[in-house]
Amino acid sequence: MKQTKKLLLFFLGLFIAMFPVDAQSGRIEFSEFTLDNGLHVILHQDNATPIVTVAVMYDVGSKHERPDRTGFAHFFEHLMFEGTKHIPRGEYARFVEMAGGTLNANTSADRTYYFQTLPSNQLELGLWLESERMLHASVDSVGIQTQKQVVIEERKQMYDNRPYGTILIETMARAFTKHPYQWTTIGDPEHIMAAEDHEFQEFYDMFYVPNNAVLVIAGDIVKEDTRTLIEKYFGDIPTRTEEIYRPNIIEPPLKAEVRDTIFDNVQIPLVLQAYRTPALNTEDYFAIDMLGTLLSTGQSSRFFRELVDNQELALQVGTFPLPYNEPTVTLTYAFANMGIEPHVLEEAMNIEIEKVRNELIPEEEFQKLRNQFENDIIGGNSRIAERAHNLATYHTYFGDASLINKELEKYMAVTREDIQRVAREYFRSDNRVVLYYLPKR
Amino acid sequence: MKKIILSILTICFTTGLLAQLDRSIPPSAGPAPQINIGEYKKFKLSNGLQVFVVEDNRLPFVAYSLNLEIDPIVEGDAVGYISLSGSLMRSGTANRTKGEIDEAIDFIGATFNTFSDGMYARSLKKHSETLLEIMSDVVMNPSFPQEELDRSILRMRSALQANKSDAGSIAANVANVLRFGKNDPYGELVSEETLENITVDLLKDYHKTYFRPNVGYLVIVGDISLKEAKKQAKKYFGKWKKGDVPTHQYDDPAKYEQPKVAIANREGANQSTINVTHTVNLTPGHPDAIKASLMNQILGGGSFNARLFQNLREDKAFTYGAYSRLSTDKRIGHFTASTEVRTSVTDSAVYEILHEMTRMRKELVSEEELDLMKNVLTGSFSRSLEDPQTVARFALNIERYNLPSDYYRTYLEKVAAVTPQDIKAMANKYLHPDHVIILAVGEADKIREPLSKFSPTGEVVQYDFYGDVVTGPREVTDVNAVEVIERYLEAIGGHDAVNAVEDVKMHASFTIQGMQLNMITQQKAPNKMLVETLMGGNVVTKQVFDGENGLIVSPMGEQRLEGEMLEEMKKASALFAEQALLKPDAEIELVGVENVEGMEAFRINVLSNGENTKSLYYSVETGLKLREVSTGMQGTVISVFIDYKEVNGVKFPSVMRQTAGPQTFDITIDSIEVNTGIDDEVFAL
Repeated sequence: MKQTKKLLLFFLGLFIAMFPVDAQSGRIEFSEFTLDNGLHVILHQDNATPIVTVAVMYDVGSKHERPDRTGFAHFFEHLMFEGTKHIPRGEYARFVEMAGGTLNANTSADRTYYFQTLPSNQLELGLWLESERMLHASVDSVGIQTQKQVVIEERKQMYDNRPYGTILIETMARAFTKHPYQWTTIGDPEHIMAAEDHEFQEFYDMFYVPNNAVLVIAGDIVKEDTRTLIEKYFGDIPTRTEEIYRPNIIEPPLKAEVRDTIFDNVQIPLVLQAYRTPALNTEDYFAIDMLGTLLSTGQSSRFFRELVDNQELALQVGTFPLPYNEPTVTLTYAFANMGIEPHVLEEAMNIEIEKVRNELIPEEEFQKLRNQFENDIIGGNSRIAERAHNLATYHTYFGDASLINKELEKYMAVTREDIQRVAREYFRSDNRVVLYYLPKR
Repeated sequence: MKKIILSILTICFTTGLLAQLDRSIPPSAGPAPQINIGEYKKFKLSNGLQVFVVEDNRLPFVAYSLNLEIDPIVEGDAVGYISLSGSLMRSGTANRTKGEIDEAIDFIGATFNTFSDGMYARSLKKHSETLLEIMSDVVMNPSFPQEELDRSILRMRSALQANKSDAGSIAANVANVLRFGKNDPYGELVSEETLENITVDLLKDYHKTYFRPNVGYLVIVGDISLKEAKKQAKKYFGKWKKGDVPTHQYDDPAKYEQPKVAIANREGANQSTINVTHTVNLTPGHPDAIKASLMNQILGGGSFNARLFQNLREDKAFTYGAYSRLSTDKRIGHFTASTEVRTSVTDSAVYEILHEMTRMRKELVSEEELDLMKNVLTGSFSRSLEDPQTVARFALNIERYNLPSDYYRTYLEKVAAVTPQDIKAMANKYLHPDHVIILAVGEADKIREPLSKFSPTGEVVQYDFYGDVVTGPREVTDVNAVEVIERYLEAIGGHDAVNAVEDVKMHASFTIQGMQLNMITQQKAPNKMLVETLMGGNVVTKQVFDGENGLIVSPMGEQRLEGEMLEEMKKASALFAEQALLKPDAEIELVGVENVEGMEAFRINVLSNGENTKSLYYSVETGLKLREVSTGMQGTVISVFIDYKEVNGVKFPSVMRQTAGPQTFDITIDSIEVNTGIDDEVFAL
């Protein structure tokens, strides 16, 4: 079954590993403050292991891009490793690795996130590096030229050249007509190629500013000393006084089913339904997430038992809402077994969804769902780096990092009736995009 | 008072810092923190199961992982049954159906996976007993229901189908076949055919034979005391019966004498997936292991500053990433450098990878670069300690691989002690750019030619998903199979000259892994043959066929040939095999024209009962035979015929290049004598 597992991993990998559905039963203690320049800071102390995570989340993602400059936010993530006024090209990562640390970054539709985990005696280095990036990163033509090519190879490797790799791109393009969620983070390579160097500088000046970011320090720290060091490195970074662009675009309801077929270099058909659903952290989001688990998580889940085991129609199934901070979609999909027509598979998926709409789920099955979420939430946030990420996300999206301690109670507040209600309200044919991925002939 | 002074001092200190902040100087590190490796405890049950316990109360979870020490096993014509035996263990027991197990596991929100060499289970502590109840039942009483096997096989078929369009899967398959050979436990591949042969009995046998506590380690990690762990281990695994578990040993696959260049096609690829790889003998915990891992870290470990990443991505912008891996293994591991690049720079990327490998071998790494990578390794070691599973893994490795008990406690000291000379020595010992397999999966027609320069012979062999050689024929309509054979016989001298040959005696020599061997072949019309292989003047092996019966004599003993092998020998013994192909009962077909050794060649398939047994390639230009690919009892053998020379009016090749499995060697014909009047006695059995 190695193959199957790999396939699933591939697929999930496309959606950015960014599911802030984690928190501990024991509260995560943290403190926060805001510098005069607007930089918000969250400190979380845990001295169990002598490491520290230094992370910055900028409130800029692909949804902040111009329609003719898609892929910019993600391109910046690459550019931000090139160097700064005081750090020569290529040396940024070297400083971190020389200190025995590790670093990376990722970009979603909503935000861009940079993080390093260092031995705790290197905290100051981490602060220096992130402050350099925020104050005066070098946005120069050598770096731009190199990263333009790298990003194009990334697009090929991660999307175009990978079976089903374009699925999110194809789905979002059909699910949205107005909202920038219609394009994905990788964007159109031609937009990046066409961009002139000054445009990159302008993007940097607008979004990479302290009043558009949150700094999280988590791990083996002493709070007061840390605060002093933060003042030292970030205190003098100028705030942006001009307006920072915030998209305010409401996508109208879909109103009618969108249905399409993609012929790609794949071997087995895939049926995907994308239902338009509410944003992360809304009441309905929690219910929808539980509905997704009911359908597709665990071998006793409904899709798994019916489509995979009993009817042998599907090879692999999945259902989950995208964890975005504006209304987006919940994806539900199934890979067809050999010789199974996609419409037969889709019909079987629809029957299962219909059941949830028509019948209240049994008490016992509902208890199972609650247990599954309890397990996941208590087990999440076990690492320093995960906690830093979740604190940053809740602050950036909702201005409230304490949401990290409220997840379990929010899921536990969902009722069986809620799950049936969201199935009825959102899992409707006129509220979905249906895509078939079929082998090219 | 003291307090006030202190706070004044603090203020001065702080503002002083602000005023003085010179951003151009990177801050220095504070005193290095103490790195503590957590404790573990161990005990053993009377059935031989060894148990390790790591207590960590930070979260209310307990994880149980069972690891069995089982040697690799050849699966033969049923490849896949071992992994299915593992995954299907949880699909029903004597006491529970699959549905009941799934329901119970999901109900407590637990994780439970089974593998061919163990299982992993984790849940909240409050559900531990329920979880262990199931785990214990699954370990001891799996039932392997037929319908669950059927379902899994159907899914595996679909997954196989899916993987055929995935460049990474194609590359993994071909690389395994080329590294280890198709009959090695590491080179065997799951296919539609092998899935056909998997039965419930195979799964049951595997479980019964190998799932025994006396080869097992149970690792318990989490919110649990030693006392609780002892009680649970005894209660749930104490009744598990021990048994003799067979061990298996295998020869190492042969090394390549020279770089082997291979490609595979992926429809619609817009990138090439490159693997530069070879086998490596490096066992876990070997005294070289840390030094060698540091060497690989410098070359292409996962850091931003590794040479492959810097060269191929940051300098050349060929790719999104480039990495190398040096895997340790109890039997045989491998080195693999891999990257995905745009098609047009496939050859340049290979060049850079080989260049970096060579540079590691030739140049001393600078102290600075070495320090950097030591720090990378040290940092990653320290970070890994955040996870209590790490301590458990250390304990397990110490036990499994017989490491000194302080192996991990002194790990960082060992890293710190590595010198640039060590790194160079490791590169020379474990990187072999002259014996690599260079594999690229992508647009075959665009990368074939550019890659040929890396092969000393210019040969680029194309493989399919299953690691079988691919030859793409072009259709021809103006000639037929018989005419191609006639042209060949004409080209080597014509029917009359060929018919005039009564016997042939041929002296040849070749080298395998540094050993010089001689071969004397004597053949007499119509099909008597004697082939003797000599080493240092002594006969090592002998194959003889007297026209009816055959015999093979080797250091392993004598074997009289029967059945299929005898049939093969009979065909191989014909003085001019092509003559037999012109007989009315011969089954031959002209497949088309293909490219062989840079020349156009007609491909003729020789069939037996409708199955292709042999493919023969004849030059379109000269009519001469260029290549023969035969699949028989010994796997696929490829022979290439080079440089024909005339003896008594008949042309014979003067070099035959043979490839069998990963091995290629040139058989050089030193002399050929025709019609010397060989006595029939020579061919007596």
